[in-house]
Amino acid sequence: MSVWEIVELARHPQRPYSLDYIRRLAPDFIELHGDRLSADDPALVGGVGSWHGRTTVFLGHQKGRSMKDRVARNWGMMHPEGYRKALRLAHHAAKFGFPIVSLIDTPGAYPGAGAEERGIAAAIATAIMEWFRIPVPIVAAVIGEGGSGGALGMGVADRVIMLENSIYSVASPEAAASIVWRDNSRKVEAAEQLQLTSREIVAMGVVEEVVPEPAGSASADYDAAAEALDEALRRHMQPLLEMDAQDLMQHRYDRFRYIDSLVTAEPHFGPKID
Amino acid sequence: MAILERHFEQVAIQGGELPEILLPTNCPGCGIALEKEELRAHNYVCTNCGHHFRLGADVWIPLIADESSWTERWTDVRSHDLLNWTVPKRYQETVETLLEEGLNEAVRTGTCTLDGKPIWLATFDFGFVGGTLSIVAGERLARGMEQATSSHTPYVLISASGGARMQEGVLALMQLAKVNAAVGRLHDAGVPFFSVLSDPTFGGTAASLALLGDINIAEPGASIGFTGPRVIKQATYADLPPGFQSAEFQLAHGQVDMVLPRTELRPLLAHLLEMYP
Repeated sequence: MSVWEIVELARHPQRPYSLDYIRRLAPDFIELHGDRLSADDPALVGGVGSWHGRTTVFLGHQKGRSMKDRVARNWGMMHPEGYRKALRLAHHAAKFGFPIVSLIDTPGAYPGAGAEERGIAAAIATAIMEWFRIPVPIVAAVIGEGGSGGALGMGVADRVIMLENSIYSVASPEAAASIVWRDNSRKVEAAEQLQLTSREIVAMGVVEEVVPEPAGSASADYDAAAEALDEALRRHMQPLLEMDAQDLMQHRYDRFRYIDSLVTAEPHFGPKID
Repeated sequence: MAILERHFEQVAIQGGELPEILLPTNCPGCGIALEKEELRAHNYVCTNCGHHFRLGADVWIPLIADESSWTERWTDVRSHDLLNWTVPKRYQETVETLLEEGLNEAVRTGTCTLDGKPIWLATFDFGFVGGTLSIVAGERLARGMEQATSSHTPYVLISASGGARMQEGVLALMQLAKVNAAVGRLHDAGVPFFSVLSDPTFGGTAASLALLGDINIAEPGASIGFTGPRVIKQATYADLPPGFQSAEFQLAHGQVDMVLPRTELRPLLAHLLEMYP
């Protein structure tokens, strides 16, 4: 399969979205709304559900299926209010000691004027910083598109896993092509250069595991895909539930602080910290 | 405003003599013929219209640091081509050419004094692949922040960056998390963090440390935002109003504490270091 075919699978209109997984993982899921400041961002769903006998906070980028729904969900592209809602629910989880599962599926944060006016950069920056202070276990999974800062704003976790046909990238192939060549039609070339497939990402040490998808990809069998995701999330969550909050946060700090250690271990990269 | 007025007469104070930079013959702001020496003595701010010229790290360092106080750290940490990036140019070649030209990555960091007070200083260098956040840049920022945290030394940042570096792929994106983890600890330890945003500050740099200062200071006319105007227009077909994403726009939208001329920056920082011991 070519890199571009994987990108197309990750974006497939029939691919299961966050709510398709969350409702299978926790059938009693109750959605909670709003950032308690000004708005509710429908591009991010959040709420509580019972998962393997434990109340868990679920968060996820949500794309729409019909055209009307896609517009309403803004193609899974969050505004600043979405990051503020996520943090509100993270603090909610912290208050009750609930673990957090975060599902990532976004082309990126919304690249529009309104998002800029309301401080999208600071909203993402604050979210990324605050995730390190949340004293409960967090497992994140890239289930489709992991695009840029918009994805990372929901992706600071103790463990991060990826579904087989999902992608994770510093920028969408279109944006990267636009930045490198000022020509977003060279997206296929950009995708090949970026090394954004799950196998390449796991080889870089950025995620812990690639979760295999059913035959014909997740789009072909929602139940089987959800089952595989459930098993992997649970396996990664289990040891975190035993950890003391301070150790957990130190581990999370170290996970990202030395995330490029596979690269920095190269002799010509430079000295380790002195 | 009292502080600024008090220091207004002291505009020329700075650590060392600023190096010369490449200048056009006329000011892009107002078109007057530029006097190189006058401009240099005025921190490269046009004396006629106040246009702020972009500065490299080699100018920012003597502009902030007291003379002979600068000790640069981790200069030998180097980028290399981990994605085997070949288009439009081999990444390794891009980096080597810039190193030969005397630049040393998109972030340089070290310790110095400002008006006699010790600080950690980190400055982006827009000349190095657009000041993009790379593994080396992130590593230097995080190491400096960690040391400032443990020694309780105020941290001063100068930003000029297009965002995360495409040629280092997802590992460049991960630098946002690496750096912000360290910013969080700096804040937890009660260490002051003064962030200066110069032209331009975008993408992953704006969405990581640049807007997380205790005090965010923007330079007049600097463009600051997350998504660049070209991409916004491509994505939304929207007409952007004049001044969109300018420092003044970000002040009006609550993202920065002030828009301050460069000539007043050093006196203000000196005063802040007194107020936030």
